[in-house]
Amino acid sequence: MIETLLKQSSGPLTRELVQSPGSFGLGNVPTRLTPSSTTTSICGYCATGCQLKLHLDEEGNAINLSPQANYPVNLGMACPKGWQALDPLTATDRGTVPLLRDPATGRRQPVDWNTAIATFTDRLKGIQQTHGRDAAAFLSTGQIPFEEMAFLGLLWKSGMGFLHGDANTRQCMATAVTAYKQSFGFDAPPYTYADFEESDVIILSGANLAIAHPILWQRIMRNKRSPEIIVIDPRATETAQAATVHLPIKPKGDLALYYALAHCIIRDGRIDYDAIKNTEGFDDFAAFVQHRTPEQAAHQTGLEAATIEKVARLVSEPGKRVSWWWTMGINQSYEGVRAAQAMINLALITGNIGKPGTGANSITGQCNAMGSRLFSNTTSLVGGHDFANEDHRNKVSVGLGIPIEQITSDPSLAYDEILRAAEDGKIKALWVVATNPFHSWINSGRLSALREKLDFLVVQDMYHSTESAEIADLYLPAAGWGEKTGCLINSERRLAPIRPVRKAPGQALTDFRIFRLLAQSWGCGGMFQQWTDPEAAFKLLRDLTQGRPCDITGIRDYDHLDESGGIQWPYPESDADPHPSAERRLFESGQFYHPDGKARLLFSAPAPLPEPTDDEFSFTLLTGRGTSSQWHTQTRTGKSDILRKLYPAQAYVEIHPRDARRLGILNNQVITVRSRRGSMKASAYLAPTVQPGQLFLPMHYPEVNRLTHPSFDKHSRQPNYKACAARLEV
Amino acid sequence: MRTLIDDLLAEQGRLQTPAAKFAEVHDREPDLADHYRSLIPLTKPGKDEQYAFEVSLDRCTGCKACVSACHNLNGLDDDESWRDTGALLGGEAAPSWQQTVTTACHHCESPECMHGCPVGAYEKDEDTGIVRHLDDQCIGCSYCILKCPFDVPKYSEARGIVRKCDMCHQRLAEGEAPACVQACPTEAIRIIKVPTNIPAIPERRRTEHEKNLFQSTIPNPQSGLPSSNITFPTTRYVGRKVPTTAVAADRDQLTPEHAHWPLVFMLVLTHVGIGLVGSAGFQPTASSAPLYLGTLLFNAGMIAAVFHLGQPHKAWRFFLGLRTSWLSREILAFSLFAPIPLVLCALPLLPDFPFKENVSILVQASVLPVGLLAVLTSVMIYADTRRSLWAVPLSAPRFFGTVFAFLLLGASVEFPLLRPFAAAAIAFKTLPELWVLRLADIDTDWSPLRHSARLQLGPLGNITFWRFALAALAMAAVIFSPWFALPLLLASEILERQLFFQSVQAPKMPGTFGPAHPTH
Repeated sequence: MIETLLKQSSGPLTRELVQSPGSFGLGNVPTRLTPSSTTTSICGYCATGCQLKLHLDEEGNAINLSPQANYPVNLGMACPKGWQALDPLTATDRGTVPLLRDPATGRRQPVDWNTAIATFTDRLKGIQQTHGRDAAAFLSTGQIPFEEMAFLGLLWKSGMGFLHGDANTRQCMATAVTAYKQSFGFDAPPYTYADFEESDVIILSGANLAIAHPILWQRIMRNKRSPEIIVIDPRATETAQAATVHLPIKPKGDLALYYALAHCIIRDGRIDYDAIKNTEGFDDFAAFVQHRTPEQAAHQTGLEAATIEKVARLVSEPGKRVSWWWTMGINQSYEGVRAAQAMINLALITGNIGKPGTGANSITGQCNAMGSRLFSNTTSLVGGHDFANEDHRNKVSVGLGIPIEQITSDPSLAYDEILRAAEDGKIKALWVVATNPFHSWINSGRLSALREKLDFLVVQDMYHSTESAEIADLYLPAAGWGEKTGCLINSERRLAPIRPVRKAPGQALTDFRIFRLLAQSWGCGGMFQQWTDPEAAFKLLRDLTQGRPCDITGIRDYDHLDESGGIQWPYPESDADPHPSAERRLFESGQFYHPDGKARLLFSAPAPLPEPTDDEFSFTLLTGRGTSSQWHTQTRTGKSDILRKLYPAQAYVEIHPRDARRLGILNNQVITVRSRRGSMKASAYLAPTVQPGQLFLPMHYPEVNRLTHPSFDKHSRQPNYKACAARLEV
Repeated sequence: MRTLIDDLLAEQGRLQTPAAKFAEVHDREPDLADHYRSLIPLTKPGKDEQYAFEVSLDRCTGCKACVSACHNLNGLDDDESWRDTGALLGGEAAPSWQQTVTTACHHCESPECMHGCPVGAYEKDEDTGIVRHLDDQCIGCSYCILKCPFDVPKYSEARGIVRKCDMCHQRLAEGEAPACVQACPTEAIRIIKVPTNIPAIPERRRTEHEKNLFQSTIPNPQSGLPSSNITFPTTRYVGRKVPTTAVAADRDQLTPEHAHWPLVFMLVLTHVGIGLVGSAGFQPTASSAPLYLGTLLFNAGMIAAVFHLGQPHKAWRFFLGLRTSWLSREILAFSLFAPIPLVLCALPLLPDFPFKENVSILVQASVLPVGLLAVLTSVMIYADTRRSLWAVPLSAPRFFGTVFAFLLLGASVEFPLLRPFAAAAIAFKTLPELWVLRLADIDTDWSPLRHSARLQLGPLGNITFWRFALAALAMAAVIFSPWFALPLLLASEILERQLFFQSVQAPKMPGTFGPAHPTH
C-alpha cells in the first residue's frame, strides 16, 4: 500500500507507451496504434522502390507504417524518408482549394474547381489559338504513378493538341536513358538488385549510396563474397569511407579514367572475346583508347598512373563478377552520356553483362523515373515507342483509340529548351505538375525573369507554398502519395502499386482526377472515356507494350503485382510464369535491342570543363544530396519533424580545413559563396569530405541553384549540376 | 445537376475498406524475427551481467533509419525519438575521416539520471540492467537532463515529464528486437550482454582511457565528447578505429542552452532573500525593511521554483531521493529555511511569551547557518552535473557572492561605512566570470569553458554586456544609497544567472553540424 503510494509505476502517462501484439506479422506495436488491417504501398521518394506496410484503422486510414518484410527490394528495411512517409500529408500548407491570382490585387484567391478548370481551359485555348501548339508546355515529374504521367502526356499532346512537354526526370536520368538507347537499342537498365549481393567487384561512380540509396547500400552489405568496393567520387562521402578503394577523382575526370582503364585492359588482353562478338565498334574503340594511357589520364583525373593500373586489373579480373553502378555524379554532367557509355563499354568488353553480379547499371533517382521513361509520352511515345516511327504511332492510335492524326511525329523540346523558349517569349504558358523548377532548375535566378515573360503559369502540387506554386497564376491542389493509387517502376524495372490510405485534405484531387476534369472541360473527354481510374488506365497501357522490350502484357492487375512482390519488365503474356522469379536481369542471351542484336561501343574525346576555375573564381563547386532525410527541394521532407531533426536547418558549405585556414574562415562562420550567376550565404563546415580547392553545397537549400552553371550534356540535355567555378567571401 | 467535379470529389473522399481486400494473416511470428534473431542475445542476462547496445562503426553509414524506427514503433510525439545521430570528424590527424554515430540511452552502470532524481522516478532493472523511467512518478524537474552527460532524457512540454529510451524492454521481454535493432538496414546495432562491475569502479577510474566510450580513442579534452567516467555507459562502439584527434561535428556550434527561467528567479531571489534576511541580524535598531523585503523575495523565489516543475503536485515525494540527490537535499534545506524569515517577521508582532527573547536570538542566529547550508545545496546541485562552468570554484562565488553582496547591501542601510564593502562584494563576485570570459580567444584550445566564454561574447553578448554594466552601476549607486543599488544589482544578478544556465557547455553525444531546427 505504502509502496504503491510512493512509487507510481503505472498510470495514464505510463500507459501511453504500453505495447501489445500488432498482428499482421508486425510484432509489438504501441497499443493505441494497433492496426485493424494493413495494406502495402511503394515508397514515393526514390527509385529504390521500397515497399511499406501501412497500418490502418477501421476506416482504412493509415495510422502508422513500417517497412514490408520479405519484399524483394528492401527486405523489411527503409530509410527515414520512407519511415516518415505519412508525415508530409498532414502539413499545414497542403492545398485544399484551387487558387487563382487576382490581377487587380496580385494576390491568390480561393476559387471553386469549376472556375479553376474553366480558367485553365479558356486561357490555354486562347494561347493556342493565338500563338499555336508550340506556345505552351508542361513540366512534370518522376514522382507520380505512370498512369497519371501517361494521362498527362496524352491529354496534352493528343487531347489538347500541344507539342512540348518534359519532366524533371531530365534533371535526374536523361543521361542514362540516352546512353542505354544508343548502346543497347532500348532504354534498358539490365540489372536486378540481387546483383549487388552477387558481385565480386562493385564500382560505384558518382554514387553516394549510403546516403542517397541506403537500402541499396544495405544490399551491398549483405554481399557474402567479400567484394572489392571501389568508389569513384571527388568527395570522401559516407560511401567512400566504407569502400575498400576510394578514388578521389578530380571533378569530371571520369571519362578520362574509364578510357585509361579500357586502354590497360585491351593492352593486357584482359578482354572477353566471346562477349565482344555481341558488340559493334570494338576495333574503333580499341584504336581510340590506344593512346589514352594511365600516365596521360593522371593529369585529368588527379589519380596516379599506378592506381589506375591497379584498378584496371581489379575490374578485369578473369572469373570475377564485376558490376558498374552510377547515379547523379555521372548523369548530371556535360558529358554524362559518354561517361555512362564508357562504363557500358568496360562491362561489354570484359563480358560483365547478362550474368549474376555484373552489368553497367544506372541507379535511378526518382520513385517513378523509370515509369516516366516508358509512359510519360514526352521523349518517347507512350509505352516504349518512338514518335518518329509510323508503325508505332499506328499501334498507339489503335491501342488507345486516338485518331492517328492526333498523334504527333514531332519531338518535344527538352526542359532547358522549353525554358529558353519561354525566356524568348515563344512559350507563353507553363503547366507545372508535381515539381518545383523555381528551386531545382540550374541557374534558378534566371527563372524569376522568365516568370515575368509568361502569360499563364499553372502549378499543380500538394502544397500551395512551393517556390513555384507561390508565383503561379493558377494553383490546383493535388492529392499526394498515400491519397491515390497507381504504379511505380523502380530502378531495376520492377512495377508495383501504391495505395490510398488517407483522405486528401479539403478539395484536393488526385492528378488523375484533375486530368479527367480537364479532358472533359477541353472537349476531349471522349478520347479518355476508358480512363475511369488508374487501374483501367494501367490495363490499356499494359496492352500497349506488347512486342516491345518493356512488354508487360503478362501482368493481370494490381493484385497480381502485390502477390508477386512486384514484377520486373519484361513480362510478356506469351511466356509469363504466373509466379515470376523475384530477381530477373536482361541480356542473358547476349542479344541486345539493336536490329542486328549487337550492342554499340560508343565514345568521344573528353571535353574540358564548361566553367573551369580561374583566379577570380578559384573553387570548384560541387552539389548533391545532403543527408538521407532530405529529398530534392524539400517540399515534403521539410514537413516532417523527425526528418527535420536529421539535417542542418540552414544552408552550409563544406570546405577543406586547409582552405578555411588560408582564408581565415572559422567553423560555423557564415560566409558568402559566389559564382558568376549569383551568391548565397552559408555556414562554413570545415568538413573532411571535400578536397582542397573544392566546395560542396547540398542541393536542398533554395539558394544553391542560383549558383550552378547552365551547361548541358549535348546528347541527353541533362544539366551539369555538379561542377562550376565559385569563390568564397568572408 | 450533379457534375463530374461532384463525382470526383465524392470519390476522393472515400477510402477502400481494406480489411476486405488486403487483409493479411493475423497472429503469426513477426515477419522480421529471422532477421533479428542473431542481433539479440539468446538468453537473459545472468548474475553480474546486463543488456547493452553494441554499435558497429564499420556497418553504420549514416542512413538514420534507427531514429525514425524508434519514433514510429514506439508511437512517440511528432518530433520525438529516443535515438539520435551525429558525426565525428577526424580532425587534424585524419582530415578525411568521418563517422556517423547513433546514440540512444547508454543504460549506464551508474546512472546519474537515477542518482539525481529527487523522487525515485528512475529504476535500474535488476535482471536486465535497463534504466527505466517511471513516467507517472516523474515531477518534470528536468534535473536528470542536467545530470546525464549524454543528453539522453528529453522533456515533454505537453506532458510535463521527461521521457527516454527503455531499450524496448517490452519487445525484449518477448524475444523481439528493439525498434532500432530491427530497423537498421546494415545490422549495425545489436543487443549484447555485458558484465557489470560496480564495485570495481574506483579501479576503473584510474584506467579511464581503456574505458572510453569509443574504445579506440584516448580521451581528448578537445574532442567535445562526453566523459564516460561519470556514469559508465554500457553501449559498446566497436569496429572502425576512431582517430585520437576526432571531434564532435557540432562541437563549435554556439547554441545557447535552455534558460530555465523559473530556476533563474528561484536561485537569485532565494539567495538575495537569504542575504537580506541575514542582514537584519546586524541591525540592532531593528530596521525591518531589509527583513521584510528579504522575506518577500525569498518566498517569491520559492514560488518561482514551483513553475519549474511539470508535475508539482507529485513533488511531495522529494524525500525519496535524499540519499543520492542534491535536489532532494536542496528541497529539504530550503524547506527548513523557509519558516525562519516568517518567524522573524512575526516575532515583533506576537505578544510576549516565555523565553521570547531567547527564541528570537536563536531564530536570528539560525538565519545564516541554515541559509548558507541551503545555498550550499544549490551550489552542489549544479556542481554534481560535472559541467565545467558549474564547478564549485565558479558557481560558489556566484551563489554565495549574491548572498553576501545583498547581506552587505542590506546592512549598509544602517551602517554607511559598509557601503564600500558592499561595492567590493559586487566587484569580487564578477572576478570568476571575467576569468572565464578571457578564454574566448579563438587561438586557445577548445574546452568547455572556452565554449561558454564564446557563447557569452557571441550569441549572448548583449546579456553579458548588461550583466556587467548593471553591476558597475550598482557599485556606483551604492555610494549614494543602498536602495538605489538594490534594483540595479537584482537585475544584474538575474542576467548573471541567465548566463549561468544559457552559456554552460552541456556534455552530449556528437550531434550534426549546424544549428538545430527550432522545435515547436
